[in-house]
Amino acid sequence: MKNFNLRDFGAGIWERSNRYQRVAIVLVTITLAALLPFAGASFLATPVAAYDAVLVYPVAIFVLMSLGLNIVVGKSGMLDLGYVAFFAIGAYTNGLLSMHTGLNTWEIMPIGIGAAMFAGVLLGIPTLRLRGDYLAIVTLGFGEIIRIVALNVSWTNGPNGISGIQMPPPILGKEFALDDQKLFFWVVLVMILLTIWMIRRLTVRRPGRAWEAIRQDEDAAELMGVPTLKYKIWSFTLGAAIGGAAGVLYAAKNLFISPEMFTLNVSILILACVVFGGIGNIWGVILGGAILGYLPDRIRFISDARLLVFGLVLVVVMNFRPDGLLPRKKREKALVKKGASA
Amino acid sequence: MSKVLLKLENLTMKFGGVTALNEVNLEVREGEILALIGPNGAGKTTVFNVITGVYQATSGSVTFDGHNLAGRKRFQITGLGVARTFQNIRLFGDMTTLENVITATDVHKKSGLVGALFGTPRARREEKENRAKAHEILQFIGIDEYADRLAKNLPYGVQRRLEIARAMGTSPKLLLLDEPAAGFNPQEKVELGATIKKVRDAGYTVLLIEHDMSLIMGISDRVAVLDFGTKIADDSPAVVQNDPRVIEAYLGVPADAS
Repeated sequence: MKNFNLRDFGAGIWERSNRYQRVAIVLVTITLAALLPFAGASFLATPVAAYDAVLVYPVAIFVLMSLGLNIVVGKSGMLDLGYVAFFAIGAYTNGLLSMHTGLNTWEIMPIGIGAAMFAGVLLGIPTLRLRGDYLAIVTLGFGEIIRIVALNVSWTNGPNGISGIQMPPPILGKEFALDDQKLFFWVVLVMILLTIWMIRRLTVRRPGRAWEAIRQDEDAAELMGVPTLKYKIWSFTLGAAIGGAAGVLYAAKNLFISPEMFTLNVSILILACVVFGGIGNIWGVILGGAILGYLPDRIRFISDARLLVFGLVLVVVMNFRPDGLLPRKKREKALVKKGASA
Repeated sequence: MSKVLLKLENLTMKFGGVTALNEVNLEVREGEILALIGPNGAGKTTVFNVITGVYQATSGSVTFDGHNLAGRKRFQITGLGVARTFQNIRLFGDMTTLENVITATDVHKKSGLVGALFGTPRARREEKENRAKAHEILQFIGIDEYADRLAKNLPYGVQRRLEIARAMGTSPKLLLLDEPAAGFNPQEKVELGATIKKVRDAGYTVLLIEHDMSLIMGISDRVAVLDFGTKIADDSPAVVQNDPRVIEAYLGVPADAS
């Protein structure tokens, strides 16, 4: 165990590869991910729930949301316990617009993302002056407010929720179908890839440095000229945008939404995905989201003990790997070079 | 006489009933090394904190390069050309040495999040400029060989120097150094003194808090002395050294009784 480190092993392969090898690695990985829905006949199959549906939700949507929350919690170090709020806003935007207008899912998508971002800015400007525990409490309150509003106002149908959400229109002539969710999985996969691209772009440039500096020492960052409030709001808003996109997709997949789907539990579970996988490391976070999304459905055959086992797995893994499965630890370039030549 | 870069006028800073600074007047002239000394708790770091906007002064004013600094945000003050180091090292430990400096060089760059996302030509150019400038500064300070090391793994002396390099990354006109030689042995202090002189000769103005008298006497053009929040002396090192009030403040005995 001491000698083998999956994160460094993976990073080592990447460092040693040339441009073409890297393109090949990326393509193979994407292809393998895209082929996942066809693995339903293998040991991966989920009892009770349909395998391809499980791949869409929770697995892929959890991965997407974990990536979004990781920008806020992992990259910039702000504890957000109300992430479900943005998920709910995206889902309700889809529900309401689908109910009242003729817009389809893809037309609603930018509106849903916009609504979530708007909510993020609105919440962020007053609250991001707070830090740590205080911010956690305020965001937790925000998450609950959104759910309780959806539960109590008439235009969201209150506890009855919104049913009859439109299926997304076909893509390239291929229809979306309830009993075959491969297409849906690929759509979410594309969203995930876009998100990864975005995060990687931002991380190596100015915003990533600003977030990193804020996470490590906010006061020092500000004194070194980082406009901390601005970058914190950006981080929060980008996280919100991804949460909103996940919400729109979730509503389109489920065709029905109600307030009880957007409880504090979801926020905590997504946070668990981030921490379990490796806070701050996007590959870890993807792994965390995938495992924590998949596991409860995979072990559904033990019915009652299911959540107990799930909890135990969490406790045991976090005990052995307190920094998550693939922890964030920046390696020093000089050391990598040494490792490569050895 | 060269122009006044920083001017503190009747600066008073109170924390509840405690007066940390009492009617302090201080001028820093362009191109000089001004040392700020005084016993522990005299208010030296408070001066830095008021200048950089960490505290808002109770009364009095801070003028830098023609700008009144009152009410400005901390990153804006940095943008105007004031940069500082910290008495207790506060580097970004999980970033490399180079990234620490690049984070600071970002302050004068225009491209933001959207530019970074789409890789606009400006963003690319600015990234390149940042990198070149950061290496230049690290070479100047003499720690470029550590560029790719994580800041938290650096030897103590290099961390102290990186504090200075990071502050220089913001292209300041005025550099505030808060006990840059703390924990150094005599040899390291001499080297640091030479570095600070070199920094000044490169066109920066330096306001320095330090306890080590030999270092101060060796490099500073002027010395200001604070005691219990009040400035009790402000003159050339040789004069300050023999000022009875300064000796009293440091040794705690009336000058004529000794």
